[in-house]
Amino acid sequence: MKELIEYISRSLVDDPTQVHVREARDGSHVRLELRVAKEDMGRVIGKGGRVANSMRLLLRVAAAREGQQATLDVVEPR
Amino acid sequence: MSFEKTTLEIIAPTVEEAIDRGLSQLGLSFDAVDVDILDQGSRGLFGLGSRQARVRLTIKPPAPQVEQQPVEQAAEAQAPAAAEPKRETKPAQPAAEAQEEKSAASEATREALRVAQQVVTELLEKMKVRADVSATVVEPVDENDEELVMVEIRGEDLSILIGRRSETLNALQYIASLIVSKELGRWVPMSIDVQGYRARRERQIRILARRMAEQALHTGRKQTLEPMPANERRLVHLELRDHPGVYTESTGDEPNRKVVILLKKNTQNE
Repeated sequence: MKELIEYISRSLVDDPTQVHVREARDGSHVRLELRVAKEDMGRVIGKGGRVANSMRLLLRVAAAREGQQATLDVVEPR
Repeated sequence: MSFEKTTLEIIAPTVEEAIDRGLSQLGLSFDAVDVDILDQGSRGLFGLGSRQARVRLTIKPPAPQVEQQPVEQAAEAQAPAAAEPKRETKPAQPAAEAQEEKSAASEATREALRVAQQVVTELLEKMKVRADVSATVVEPVDENDEELVMVEIRGEDLSILIGRRSETLNALQYIASLIVSKELGRWVPMSIDVQGYRARRERQIRILARRMAEQALHTGRKQTLEPMPANERRLVHLELRDHPGVYTESTGDEPNRKVVILLKKNTQNE
């Protein structure tokens, strides 16, 4: 799951070195936090959140393969 | 089990009715047949000169996926004329010019096919989905049309990749297109299909186009369809291109671009 989000994000941003995904597991629920460079936020969110929502749909497939549920948050850089 | 092709022709007042009638006669669902609209019929004026609609239903063989041969990997760029029999060939150009154009185009095309195949394979692998991925190119229909990269995913139990109202498949297609385009530095129109799902949907869209055109004529109002990706919008345009009473336009911006079916002037007043 983490690898999926990392792959997509790194492929879309201008600065792949700033892509970080944190995975927090709680039973069968997995929460992923995606961080990218400020300038790349738009690329992983997309117009109207289209990119992020597409990633969530693909993540859902990956999670279902492992019998789990997953959520994805794109976290604002500080 | 018989693989014989069975066809049935039905005549009814409207295309929709003809299809419904045919399906109930065969006892089959829409997915189990191929629909050819032979004559879409016409309402006529005041019941005069009206013509019945005529459709032909062809029962599909039991396992639609076995008969097709996916072109493995990207190398076979020129091949798939067979995949899209409805497409017209380009008007002939002066030989030298055409030759030159073609070799330049196929270079870029091969690159696009290779990257598309690789990106989709990578995505599926990371989604833990086992499947075969192949990529082919669909040639443009006319000078306003663009070349389309068609990625075909085949395997077992892939309904998870389609999702409700194909939202997961569209997400996969969107993400893959973004990655491929970023990698190539140009926008590449791309379509991903899973087990022939889009091909079936294509037929449904053609029917929808006809139905909405009929509704436009019936109500005297323009009909706006749901937002669709470019490949689906194109289907609507093509389906209604020669329609006597309506014409089509696309409005709005991606990803919310949609087809509007408008009445031709001469049919606007009863």
